[in-house]
Amino acid sequence: MLKVRINRALPGFKLDVAFSVDGEVLGILGPSGSGKTMTLLCIAGLLSPDSGFIQLNGRVLFDSSKKLNLQPKDRNVGFVFQNYALFPHLSAGKNIAYGIRHQPKDEVNRRVQLLIENMGLNGLQNRYPRELSAGQQQRVAVARALAPEPDILLLDEPFSALDSLTKEQLEMQIQELRKFYHGHIILVTHDLEEAYRLSSRIAVYDAGKIAQCDLKDKLISSPVNQKVARLTRFRNFLDGVVTEIKDKQVWVNVALLKTNLQVAANGHKNLAINQAVMLGIRSEHIQAVPSIGQNILRGTLNSSVENLALINCYFDLKTNINSIYRLETAFPKSVAPSLSNGSSYYLYFPPEQLVIITG
Amino acid sequence: MNSYTAPLWISFKTVLATTAITFILGIAAARWISRYTGKLKPVIDGIFILPLVLPPTVVGFGLLLFMGKHGWGGKFLALFHTSIVFSWPATVISAAVMSFPLMYMTTRGAFEQVDTNIENAARTLGASEWKVLYSVTLPLAWPGVLAGTILSFARALGEFGATLMIAGNIPGKTATIPVAIYFAIVDGNMKQADILIIIVMCIALASLALLAYLKRPKPRDRGLIVNPVQSDILHAGRNKNNHS
Repeated sequence: MLKVRINRALPGFKLDVAFSVDGEVLGILGPSGSGKTMTLLCIAGLLSPDSGFIQLNGRVLFDSSKKLNLQPKDRNVGFVFQNYALFPHLSAGKNIAYGIRHQPKDEVNRRVQLLIENMGLNGLQNRYPRELSAGQQQRVAVARALAPEPDILLLDEPFSALDSLTKEQLEMQIQELRKFYHGHIILVTHDLEEAYRLSSRIAVYDAGKIAQCDLKDKLISSPVNQKVARLTRFRNFLDGVVTEIKDKQVWVNVALLKTNLQVAANGHKNLAINQAVMLGIRSEHIQAVPSIGQNILRGTLNSSVENLALINCYFDLKTNINSIYRLETAFPKSVAPSLSNGSSYYLYFPPEQLVIITG
Repeated sequence: MNSYTAPLWISFKTVLATTAITFILGIAAARWISRYTGKLKPVIDGIFILPLVLPPTVVGFGLLLFMGKHGWGGKFLALFHTSIVFSWPATVISAAVMSFPLMYMTTRGAFEQVDTNIENAARTLGASEWKVLYSVTLPLAWPGVLAGTILSFARALGEFGATLMIAGNIPGKTATIPVAIYFAIVDGNMKQADILIIIVMCIALASLALLAYLKRPKPRDRGLIVNPVQSDILHAGRNKNNHS
């Protein structure tokens, strides 16, 4: 298990996080400059926190109260850098062997050969990094980090510089990696889908703090605040007041749109009547329906953008203050109504897809 | 040893010793300053480069004061009943002080060009700082280190002003080639001056040629350089086979 508590202050920025990882893939998700990479550097010992505590599988790597700070070379942490940072003067095979060079030659050759096979690098052993494609370089970087059998593997935005085809292949490779590497993994990314596909738990970073850390499905279904909701691709937010709570159903009055919305409040136990809340809904969860009814609002189509599988539509909804509320939806092409700008549509907000955000 | 070979031999010894000293001190200083983050960095940097901007005679005079009877260095050496002013080691000290900034500046520039992530990768792979230096930083900064070495070698070979101040012109003892040339011309001994000048020019040209030869692209840097994205498409079929 990796236990981390890190404090580090820079002018205009403060990193203050605590989390743990145990035999799983933890995704760290956040915008650039939120302290994700800094966290990895602290774990690897390449950067010293001002204060805190880092423990890996029972070994204390850093403890500010005891002035203990293990050097990077003694931490047994595998690090895959964003730009891969391969040794340009060494061949792929020698790059992989770098971390185990003190072992007997036969053992080094055996491990390098195994990693080359596992990472799909057959035949590339004698190439220099500049003779490899970006995807191959990345696999060499992962193999190199895994060679000394690290207790934890840190991946710093490993897919950010790749085209989508290579990215897909490499994501598969990382998933395959679990078959032969059983240590902890931390994956830093700014891509929600990547974090969702590859990790079991996701920590959302916001300006040096963890806004939320949850199992990935919990995270995307119940964000704790609007920041997390925005980072997990909620596009529509409505302020409201709780008017009624019955069984597992909650009614929320949205004064702006002069409507009461029914919400399935799964997991929300401590709601109270007259409590101010925020409702969030993803664009792809709003449906177009033929007639008016409960949880259905009328909107005028302002514009639409056609994507591969979805059509993004922007609807204008009338409000009580003579302004408009811009709603974003994403209809699958197969079920999208015929669209013409300026026409009115009935838009359904399914109760089970509306999320109550209290933070 | 005659009047031609004596300056040659002295210069040879001096330049060899000087290059070895500046090589080690220059790398050590460059490594230290490129990792040093204190407030005094610009000051220390300035002191290291100072001999390059001062007139050699001024540096020589400073060394003379320092190494002389009443200077700290001279007093320290006096403890061992020795003095180096106007002796052969003085030619090494003056040449080393004058050529050090070139080695230091060039090497420092080369070190700072090395991607920190690459050095950090070595650290996470269990390498000590010493190991990082010789297995990663030096190989990657090698063209710069080499250029610094050859520049400081050339500077040591041409050193005149400071050497004259602290080592003087004692034929067969401290008279290096440049000093010998100067005094040959002053004495009107043109034949000796001509021969020494030709020899110095040959050495200078040879070191430039050596520099060019050592800095030529290595086989691994030539040849196929594929755009990473393109080559991924080229290799896509093979990668897929590897997965299945």
